[in-house]
Formats: sequence, structure tokens, C-alpha cells
Amino acid sequence: MASAADVIVVGGGVIGSAIAYYLSQEGTKVALVERGDVASGTSSACDGNILVIDKMPGYDSQLALKSQELLAELVESLDYDLEYAQRGSVLVVEDEKQAQVARDWFTRQKDAGLPMRYLEGKEVFEDEPLLAHDMVGLVECASDASLNPMAFVYGLISGARRAGAMIHPFTEVTGFLQDSTGVVRGVETTHGTISADKVVLAAGVWTPGLAATVGVNVPIKPRKGHILVAERSPHPARRKVQEFGYLLAKFGGTEGRSVEPDMDRYGVAMVFEPTEHGNFLIGSSREFVGFDQRCNHHVLELMARRALRFFPTIRDIRVIRTYAGLRPYTPDHLPIVSPVPTVPGLYIAAGHEGDGIGLAPITGRLIAQMIVGEPTAVATEPLRIDRFVNKEHKGE
Amino acid sequence: MMDDDTIVCRCEEVTVGQIRQAIREGAADVTGVKRRTRAGMGLCQGRTCEKIVMRILAQELGKPLSEFAPATVRPPVQPITFGLLAEGTDG
Repeated sequence: MASAADVIVVGGGVIGSAIAYYLSQEGTKVALVERGDVASGTSSACDGNILVIDKMPGYDSQLALKSQELLAELVESLDYDLEYAQRGSVLVVEDEKQAQVARDWFTRQKDAGLPMRYLEGKEVFEDEPLLAHDMVGLVECASDASLNPMAFVYGLISGARRAGAMIHPFTEVTGFLQDSTGVVRGVETTHGTISADKVVLAAGVWTPGLAATVGVNVPIKPRKGHILVAERSPHPARRKVQEFGYLLAKFGGTEGRSVEPDMDRYGVAMVFEPTEHGNFLIGSSREFVGFDQRCNHHVLELMARRALRFFPTIRDIRVIRTYAGLRPYTPDHLPIVSPVPTVPGLYIAAGHEGDGIGLAPITGRLIAQMIVGEPTAVATEPLRIDRFVNKEHKGE
Repeated sequence: MMDDDTIVCRCEEVTVGQIRQAIREGAADVTGVKRRTRAGMGLCQGRTCEKIVMRILAQELGKPLSEFAPATVRPPVQPITFGLLAEGTDG
């Protein structure tokens, strides 16, 4: 089978699906190629956060805020139940030492125009009564939301399909077609050749392997994260709650928490997320173990212990399932959303680590704007792949 | 032939009709059905419904039952409370 398109998107996770959706809305003829089912890799082994609260104040948080606005439009325009709920989210502060850092974080975000509040003392327990009684503060972001990440992918895919995109699941890319000057002309797949003048790699942690075949070095590494799923039960909080120490774990350097050493070693930080079906999810962990996606029982125990530190009332609620996903890590915690200067026609949209669900809308929009040649919704300089050239980045 | 209204996954109350719809939308295996419908995501984790889901897949896709495998097994083997898990083997 041979076919043709304007743009080929490689990857049927949330990033590739969002790109296919936004491009097809522009009237571009899109072919999306995914080696498994859509939503079968990292996008099916994550939680469903659309957060600004855990982004670095500045470019990072403005990018996330823009993505939240686009998502609110998608909830209206996609004919699919995304299980979207905009309840806001909070960071919970454990002690006075952390409170000093948290107040500074809050002030910088609020000054940048984000819808934030800081609660302390009695206000904490009026707001979330089931938190452990020695908590000292809460940072709240009112615009934060959550959804079902797999439903999000299915919604984007069906929207793209309705706009004319060709979706090819269970089809693996086996090579790239290039002309004599190196310009991209399409891809070879397990089901035949597809020709196109533009190819977007949106394959998350699997992007470096594909890019290497055309001589492009992509500094993305798989970072494993575990999640525990609780049975349907009364929720210990009314919205997303993360320990403030999660930010420390995310950006490196967990100093300042008094936890058992293995919690720092595995980047264990409590993240609570209620779901629309009455279950709740408990995260999080971070480790570099290659492509090993098996659950590490020791880490699951650490995560359960950490959760009980903040929510002692969940002691008798049952964990019914656990899973681990591979988050595409980049050395500076920003994704790569960029043309590839050395291979004309090739683009990369990957490396969102734990922010892929939340940043999918803005990523899809930006790639679509780059390809059709419109001005981009935000500056894309910080997302370019050449920011890594000549810089030596060591993983954590 | 099962009726579309028959409940297959009792934990999450998923019907035959919903599973057939998921297959029409592209679900090609037990996990694909699970992700689209929640069948097998409840307290029993598919112990009751998994075989039936496999049978519906075989029927709808016109393939032999032997081509369908159960979903990936995820720990814990049986539900365990946060308290017991936290105590753990190394706690």
C-alpha cells in the first residue's frame, strides 16, 4: 500500500493526536502512524493533569496557562466526554521551613498573573479537613483541571478523523524517505510507504531511536513513574493535592524534606488525584531505569507510606491496581517542539516528561502553526532542539 | 448472540453494546476495550469479565478466540489497603 499526505505524524499518544487534530483543522492532509493502538504507551500510564501550579514561574507557567485555555476550547469542540473537571489544585506545605520557599513560589506566580491563593493555619483545614493535622499551608491555583488522558486521546483522534486525517494504528515506521539533499519525503512503514513533505516525530521516549536513524541526536531519556489506583471510595480531598516537595523532586534536589533516604532516591512525592469515576490516584516516583516498565514493589510501598503521611484517613482504603509509565525527560524540563535544522521537513514534538497531557493542546497548536507558516501563539525559541547543541547535559 | 444491554463487567457496569462500540472505534484487544470502556478496571480487575470480552472481540473481529490474550497483569494480585502496603516487607 502506498499513499500520500501533506504531513505524517509519527506517534498516537496525546502529543501526536493533538498535532493531528490541530493540523487537520487547518485543512492539512494528515496521516498519523502508530505502532500499537492509539493511547497505548505513556499516555495510558499516567494521570490526567492540566496544571500550571507545578511549572517554573515564567515561560514554563505561561506555556501551561495558554494550554489550559486551549483545552477549555477543546472540551467544547471535541464531540467526546473527556471527563474534564476544573476544580483547581493545591500544593500542601509540611513545615515552616518549606513554607518560606512556598510563599516565595506563590508570590512569583501570583505576580505573573496566575490565579493563586495562599492559605495557612486554620484555613488549611477549613479547605481540606482530612489532611494530616500538622500541615501548615496550602498554595492553590484555581485554573488547574484534570481529565481522563485516554479519553482525551480518543477525542482528539476522532476529531482529527472527522476533519479528514488518516489514522494508521498497528503500523510501525521502519525508515525515512529523503531526497538526495536530505530533505524528508515520507516514511516506510510495516504497511507500505507514505509520502509527505513534512514528518513530525511525536513518539515520546521512543523519539531518540527514530531520530537517530536520520543522524539526529535527541536528548530525551525514559524516566519511570509509578501510580497507585484506589478503589471507589470517599475521597480524602475535593481536588488535586500535591505535596510541595513534589516541586523539589520534579526540578531536582529534594533537600529540605525529612523523609527516609529511599524516598529521595526514588523521587517519591505524594500526588493525589480524584477521578470522575469515584476512584483516586496516588503518585509519584521518578527513576532512570531505561525502558523497564515493570512495577517496583519497594517503590509502591514507599508511595503508600508517603500518601499516609498527608492523608492518614485512607489507611483502610484498598489499592486495586498499580502501573508505571515512561515519562520523556529532557535535561532542562522543557519539551522539544521544533523543526530539525539538519533535516529539512522533519519536526520533533516530544520530551514533555510529566506534563504531556497538560501541554498537548499548546504543542499541537504550535506545530500546526509552524507547518502552515502562521505566527505562533507563544514564542518557540526556548523549545528549539538546537538549544542542546554544544551543551553538555548530564542526567540527574 | 448476546443482547447489547447485557452487562459484561459487573464492577464498572459495562454492557455488550459499549464493548461492541469500542471495537468499532478501534479497540483490537482486551486492553484496548478496557481503556475505552473501563471493562476490567473495577475491584475484581477483570476476573469476571475478561473471558467474555475476549469472546466478543473474537466474534466482532471474526478471528479465533485463541488469538486473544488476557490483559497485562498489574500488581497487587488482590486489593490491599494503603495501611498494609505501607507497612510492607521493608517498612
